This record gives sequence, C-alpha cells and structure tokens, in this order.
Amino acid sequence: MKKSLKAIIQTLIMIAAVFTLTTVFSNPASAADTSLQRVKQRGELIMVTSPDYPPYEFQVNKNGKDKIVGMDIDVAKKVAKDLHVKLVIKSMNFDSLLVAIQTGKADMAIGGINPTAARRQSVDFSKIYYSGGQSFLINSSDVNKYKSAKNLRGATIGAQTGTLQYGLAKKKIPNSTVKGMDKSTDLVLALKTHKIDALGIEKPSAEAYVKNDPSLKMISSGYHLNKNEIGAAIAFKKGSGSLVAAVNKSIDQIKKQNLTEQYLADAGKYMKVNTVNTSMFHYWKYFAKGVEYTILISVVSTFFGVLIGVILALMRFSKQKWLRGLAISYTEFIRGTPLMVQVLFVYFGIGVVVNIPALISGMIAVSLNSGAYVAEIIRGGINSVAKGQTEAAASLGLSKGDLMRFVILPQAFKNIWPALGNEFISLIKESSIVSIIGVTDLIYQLNIVRADTYRGVMPIFVAMLLYFIMTFALTRVLNHFEGKMKHAG
Amino acid sequence: MQDKKILEVNHLNKKFGDNEILKDINGTVKSGEVICVIGPSGAGKSTFLRCLNLLEKPTSGEVKFEGTDLTHVDEKQLINLRERMGMVFQSFNLFPNMTVIENLKLAPIRVKHMKDDEAQKIAMHLLDRVGLAEKADAYPSSLSGGQQQRVAIARALAMNPEVMLFDEPTSALDPEMVGEVLEVMNELAKEGMTMVVVTHEMGFAKEVADEVWFMADGYILERNKPEELFDNPQNERAKDFIGKIIQNV
Repeated sequence: MKKSLKAIIQTLIMIAAVFTLTTVFSNPASAADTSLQRVKQRGELIMVTSPDYPPYEFQVNKNGKDKIVGMDIDVAKKVAKDLHVKLVIKSMNFDSLLVAIQTGKADMAIGGINPTAARRQSVDFSKIYYSGGQSFLINSSDVNKYKSAKNLRGATIGAQTGTLQYGLAKKKIPNSTVKGMDKSTDLVLALKTHKIDALGIEKPSAEAYVKNDPSLKMISSGYHLNKNEIGAAIAFKKGSGSLVAAVNKSIDQIKKQNLTEQYLADAGKYMKVNTVNTSMFHYWKYFAKGVEYTILISVVSTFFGVLIGVILALMRFSKQKWLRGLAISYTEFIRGTPLMVQVLFVYFGIGVVVNIPALISGMIAVSLNSGAYVAEIIRGGINSVAKGQTEAAASLGLSKGDLMRFVILPQAFKNIWPALGNEFISLIKESSIVSIIGVTDLIYQLNIVRADTYRGVMPIFVAMLLYFIMTFALTRVLNHFEGKMKHAG
Repeated sequence: MQDKKILEVNHLNKKFGDNEILKDINGTVKSGEVICVIGPSGAGKSTFLRCLNLLEKPTSGEVKFEGTDLTHVDEKQLINLRERMGMVFQSFNLFPNMTVIENLKLAPIRVKHMKDDEAQKIAMHLLDRVGLAEKADAYPSSLSGGQQQRVAIARALAMNPEVMLFDEPTSALDPEMVGEVLEVMNELAKEGMTMVVVTHEMGFAKEVADEVWFMADGYILERNKPEELFDNPQNERAKDFIGKIIQNV
C-alpha cells in the first residue's frame, strides 16, 4: 500500500515537472511583432489546413502525385506570391488547425474558417476573403420532408466538430440533436446511411457534394447571420499584426478582382476529374503510401520501443533507488494516459520548444508509449527465469553483465517473445492514431480516398483488409520464430 | 600441504527475519578433505553450505576461504573468489538455452578468458570423465536427471576449483540414477578433491567422508569419523536420527 502511494506521488511530481517545463517554454515574453519578418527571412510561408473540405481544400492525385488543391489553396498561393516567399502546406484535423498556429507549427491556418467572436479571442484573423453562407445537405429522398430549414426542428443534425456549423445548429435549430464528427466525409456517410437527417455545411462545399452525388440535396440554412459567421478568413497567432496587414493587401486584391470565382471554378474541375473513376484500384497508390507509412512508423517505433523498454527494464533492476523510481513513474504515467493525448502532446507540447515534424513526432510518441509496455513485458520475462539460474551463474564466478547476457536474457527472451509479438501487432494498429497530426499513414490516406471519391464504406473496407494482411503476416513471422526457439531446448 | 586450511568458519550466524537458522557454527575444511553434512530436514544444512560461498549472506561471523574473509570483501572480489569454489545444486541448474558443451565452456571463456579451443579441450575431457562425451551437443532438456547432474558436476570442475560444494546432489533424482552421480563424486574424492557434501546418502558418507558433521536445529551437534558417528553416535539427537535411518534402510 505504502509503495503504491509512493509511486503515485512520484508520478504526480513528474507530471508537474513536465507541465511546468512546457508552460514556461510556451509563454515566451510576447516580444515585438516579428511575424512578417520571420516569414520573409525564412523564405517560406507555412500554412496548415484540413484537406477534406471540397471545394475549399481537398487532396487529389494528379499525374501520380498527391496534391492539395481548392479555393483556399489558391488564396494562400496568391498571398505567398505577393510576399515573394514559397508556400508550404501542412495538413491535419480541423480541430487542430488553431492549435497548430498557436503553438507555432505554422504561420497561418486557412480552411474555410469563420472568424467568430469566440475564435477572435484566441487568434488573429485577416479580412474575410470569401462569403459562402451556411446551408444543409439532406438526402434526396427527404426533399419533401425537409423543404426548408424550418422543417429540421427536432431532427438530428450533423456538423464537423469545432466548426461554426456545429454551434449554429445547436443554437438555431430548436429541439435538434447535434452530432459532431471530425471529418466531413464521415458526416456525409452518416447522412447517406440516415444516422443523421441533415448536415450543416458551408454552401460551396454543399454545392460540390450535390454536384457529385445525385442522392444528396442542398437546402438553405435560413440563418440570419452577420458577416463573421458566413465569411471565411485566415487565422494567425495572436500578435501577428505585421503579417496580417501584409496578407490583407493580397485579400483586397482578391476581392477587387473577384478571384475567388475563378478559384472555385478551378476547384470544381478537379472534383470532376475525381469522380470519373472511383474504383478502389484506381486509388491503390494512396493505399500503398498509407501502408508504407504505417509500416515505417511501426518498424521504427518497434525498434525504439524495444530499446526504451530494455533501458527501462534495466533501470527497474538497478541498485539506484532513484533510477527505479524514475522507471516506475514513467511506466505508470505512460500506461495511464491515452496514446492519442501523447501524440498531441509530443507534436504540439514538445513542439513549442523544438519544432519536430509530424512524422517524427508520431514516431516519438508511439515509441515512448510502446517502450513502457515493452519494459513491463521484459521485466516479467526476466522475473520468470528461475532463481537457480542466477545462483548457478554466481557460483561459477560470472559477472552480473555476463549473467544477464548469456543466461537470463536468452531465457527471458523466449518467455517474452509471444507477449512482445502481441505488442508489435497492436503497435501496427495503434499507430493509426498519428493520422490526427497529419501523418500520411493508412488511416489518413483512407480519409483522403473517402473525401476524393465521395464513397464512404469501400475505402474503410479496403483499409481494414490491409491492416489485417499486415498483422496476419506479422503473426505468421512471429510464430515461425517462436517455433524455432522452442526447438532450441 | 595436507593441512592447508581451505575453508574456516567462525561463529557463523544466519537469521531469516526472526528465524534463527544457523547458530554459532564453527568448522574447518582442510585441503583434500571430504566433509559430509547430515541431519534432519530443517537443520540448516543447505543454508550452511550456501553461506560457504556467500549465496546466502551470513548475519554475523566469519567465512574464510584460503584465509580471506568472504563476509568482508566487495562484490568484485567475491566474484573472483567464487570462481574457485565449485557448487552443485539439488536441481542441477544447467543453463537450458545452451548445449551441454556450451554450459561447460561459458565460465572458463568468460571468467578465465580461456581460448575457445582450450576450453573445448578441457570440457570434452571432463565430459568424458563423467561419461557423457557423446552428449556434448545435446540440450539439457533432452538429458535424464542423472545425466544433467553429471554435466553440472563437470561444469563446476571446468573452473578447476579448490573446493566443491554439493547441495543434496541426489535428492531430486529417481532412485536408479542416484548411483551414477555418487560414482562420479566418489571418483572425485579419490582424486583428492576437497569436498563439502550435504547429503542423505548415508552409504556414500560412510564410504567417502573423512569426517561427518551432524546438524540439527541450526547447530553442529557432533562431528566425527564416519564409522564412529554411524556406529556409536554420542549426541542424543544424532543417535535418534541415525537409529531412524538404519531402521528405514
């Protein structure tokens, strides 16, 4: 009892230390505004977006190359061109866009973001570059039921989490149930399978869907809104006045020349191309890339996970009390928090101090996580080796190192192999969580294919099959080695 | 030479918590001597033997190996001294992840930094001596208990120890395998190896021992030449114990 209490206290101290460290680093004294200067010095304008929202931004495969296109991208290109810098596009969940600019992962976020009063409290906005207006998507079969938004009273309405549409539906449609999801593709699928009755979405997006899918219809929202609630603007970190001013100049030009018309038309062309061939084979390159990244993340994380696990396990057997305590706290803490939170923490939290790319962040988080589990597996394996082995080795005068290397670890390894195998397999599956920070693993690619094809279920099925093939193949390999080890005494 | 003290134990005490296992044990083992330790179970025989190479740390008292007090040396010195004291366990404790020959070669190569071919030669010679040369490349799990124990003896001998400690080496064996192990030990004794043997094999003790120590309740109650102790025990407890054993035989 006393021991576990001590472990808890140690863990809490560690959490507090980490927290203090990150808050100290994440609040650099808000010095003079150098936002524009920084971009110019770097020669790059880094934007972050959530490319699942046609025609604002979406991913296409043109001549075998992945590309993020859409009206917002054209706006950003124009801005970058006017600033005489290169545009760098990063993608992640809509939820994370504002966090990304607050933590300095990007200079600006663009993604059909409505500059509401609430958002203005945490970020700066440019002028509005486009006013789309709000609408609802419904199933064609329901046209008579939902002639206008007024008929939606009491209905179940879907909207992307963290968007204005979500808040509006909650506030303005009486007695409605609002369901939030991360991806608009998921929402469209939910609509088509009648999990929701209507989907709150911006007009250009709704129009794009209706054009590509005859089973969907659009109705006007009927909301009375001010321009901040229908317009889209670019978001910046607070205190980026100089950059905002420069960007506003470009937006003035865009509005004067009505460039968004042209941008939307271009985006529409891409969407037409997309719907010609929605066979999954057509998208094999997407899936291949996803599989490639999933395997890459899994292999790297397995390697470092085992490395970290071995180190932690050795710490657990150390004579130094503080080393043991540290290893216990680490293991308890990692096992007591979700991998998803760890991924976000490494990317956004640690990212405040050192800027780590999403892929590396994902690998670090998954490795750190796996290390804790591997450590426990190894510890159990070592403890399972009979005490007599240690005594026999000691009586022969073997050093502690040799005892571990030649006697304990080879035997422990045989015992831990099956458990370690399970850990590797769950690692393949759990690595899917890194898609939330925009790593192009299988899940991420799956969502892109879904956004691209307007087909909800088929890509999920393909991804499921691919995951199964990967884990099944690994199981076979592991079993093969397990059999070999059994043979050797 | 014959009088050289290999092991010397002075006022040895061992407690596990409040439980006193060994009480003021004294004794000397001279070079070439074979000491058999007998007594009822729970007497502290195994604990006593394990204190001799410090697998158990004595609570107080001295354990001197060739004049060096093992209770007052650091870990590194202890490891150095231990390699010169061979030990054979009741449960063999062969390394199951290695072949027989690898079991024998590990310590000579890693501890004595012997060349592989030299270690191989010594190991094969020893395996031949315990009659298991043909099992060199087998894994321990494929051997019988008796064979495993003979390998364990050979493994300890591979380090060319000054003294061999045997902790009930035949207790875990099926009766038909006891003989082959005792025979190896008998040979060893004849060749002049210094041995301390905790055993229930009274026949072996009678034939091979230079001196038999009778232990009960954590004390050495009587020590004597085997014929004296078995035929004419002085201590009441020893009398009782030996009487029971002879009845059973």
